[in-house]
Amino acid sequence: MSEPRLGTPRLGFGAGLRTPHLPYIREHLPPVGFFEIISENFLDCHGGRRQALEEITDRYPVVLHGVSLSIGSTDPLDSGYLRRLKRLADDVDAPWVSDHVCWTGVLGINTHDLLPLPFTEETLAHVTGRARIVQDVLERPLILENPSSYVEFRASTLTEWEFLARLAEEADCGLLLDVNNVHVSAYNHDFDPEAYLRALPHERVVQMHLAGHTDHGTHIIDTHDAPVAEPVWELYRTAVELTGGGVSTLLERDDKLPPFPELMAELDRARAVAESVAAVTTGSGHG
Amino acid sequence: MADGIRGPGLAATQRWMQSAILDPYAPGPYAPGDVVTASRRLSARERLRIHQQGYRLRLAECMRGLHPGSAHLLGREIFDGFALAYLEEHPSRSPTLAGLSDGFAGHLSRTRPDSAPGAEREPWIDLLIDLVRFERVFSEVLDAPGPEDGAGDAPPLRLFLACAPVHAYFTEVRRGRDPGPPAPRPVRLAVTRRDYTVVTRELSRAAYDRLHSHQEDAA
Repeated sequence: MSEPRLGTPRLGFGAGLRTPHLPYIREHLPPVGFFEIISENFLDCHGGRRQALEEITDRYPVVLHGVSLSIGSTDPLDSGYLRRLKRLADDVDAPWVSDHVCWTGVLGINTHDLLPLPFTEETLAHVTGRARIVQDVLERPLILENPSSYVEFRASTLTEWEFLARLAEEADCGLLLDVNNVHVSAYNHDFDPEAYLRALPHERVVQMHLAGHTDHGTHIIDTHDAPVAEPVWELYRTAVELTGGGVSTLLERDDKLPPFPELMAELDRARAVAESVAAVTTGSGHG
Repeated sequence: MADGIRGPGLAATQRWMQSAILDPYAPGPYAPGDVVTASRRLSARERLRIHQQGYRLRLAECMRGLHPGSAHLLGREIFDGFALAYLEEHPSRSPTLAGLSDGFAGHLSRTRPDSAPGAEREPWIDLLIDLVRFERVFSEVLDAPGPEDGAGDAPPLRLFLACAPVHAYFTEVRRGRDPGPPAPRPVRLAVTRRDYTVVTRELSRAAYDRLHSHQEDAA
């Protein structure tokens, strides 16, 4: 890899674009670095939603975040979906397209769930080959996210972080590090989240996600319906330290949406974490 | 913890897991513990159940979002029962959720409980089916190509027949009100879009017939 983060731009601190927030955003043009859209919500729509997207695209960088690429499925890649995704990415001039290290269905079915993969050499070879094809079709970097997961497979021979590291290197793709998902999966599968973060190829982390979750005691579910939890903020600080700062960071909220200014306050906290890490780094550099 | 025990390959694992999610009570080739590990707090079966429940909760919520009027008419529990029965027979095959309920009205028509020989026809089922159909049409017109964004020459237009003024009921629910079920009355509707807003007009029989003929000629 010639450049860190695949040569992608630093977009700063952004938010997921959600329909109920559109009136506020269009009226107030809040100072966010970028917006992320759920690709599938805009693949086939015209009308007002599409017009709003064009308006947003005129004023902010927009990246695409998908939930139906199904990069790990043993079904063939959906060429029609990829064509539509490429067209949307071109329309909004997306610097990258992201999706998840998962599969969503087989035999033509889409469960619309981000299902986990067994981390084996077979899976790695399968996903690597498909990621290369997708990047060729999209003509822009593919950034793959660590999903939250609730089951692990007996057949796995690699840890999740080993799998991600090798996938990113062998497919020459980027990583979307969802810090909340690391926390969720670490709790559900009893691993050390900091060891996970340390093991990733940090120069390949193009984007980070922050989100809230729901703790059920026996397990945690990635619900995106609450503010970012304190342990996730602590992990985020570690992630910023390890990646050296400058990684575009996005706040995800999909349910129980608060007014947009509340999301801005959480983004300000993320910005403050990054600035404090930068200040310490700069200070130690001179000291 | 994963133990690297040789199990089914990737394709077989995916077929097994999808089947276990879509049809949890069907016998499969493997027990959960053959494929999935336990955690410190949950057994393999309990962990798999998170996906089984999550699938239904998520898609039922999506169906309520696509059909707020129908969900209001039936109440959440009954609506979810109909929606999940539909999805059991018609799992999604689309990368997007917008078309998740494309076959819902047809499914309701085919499985209506009053279709048994000799059963008395239940008007509320006609109302439900027409409301579901109207909600689909509304969504299709909302997202269709149109002249506002240069993606169509003319505004999208759909003609619609219903057994009751389902459009008025739907509008009231979208405004956060709690309307009673509309009384049966045949209505002829034109559903179109102006400045990105869906507009519904009730038509006379003559106006409906003229527009219908015009659409057929154009087709």
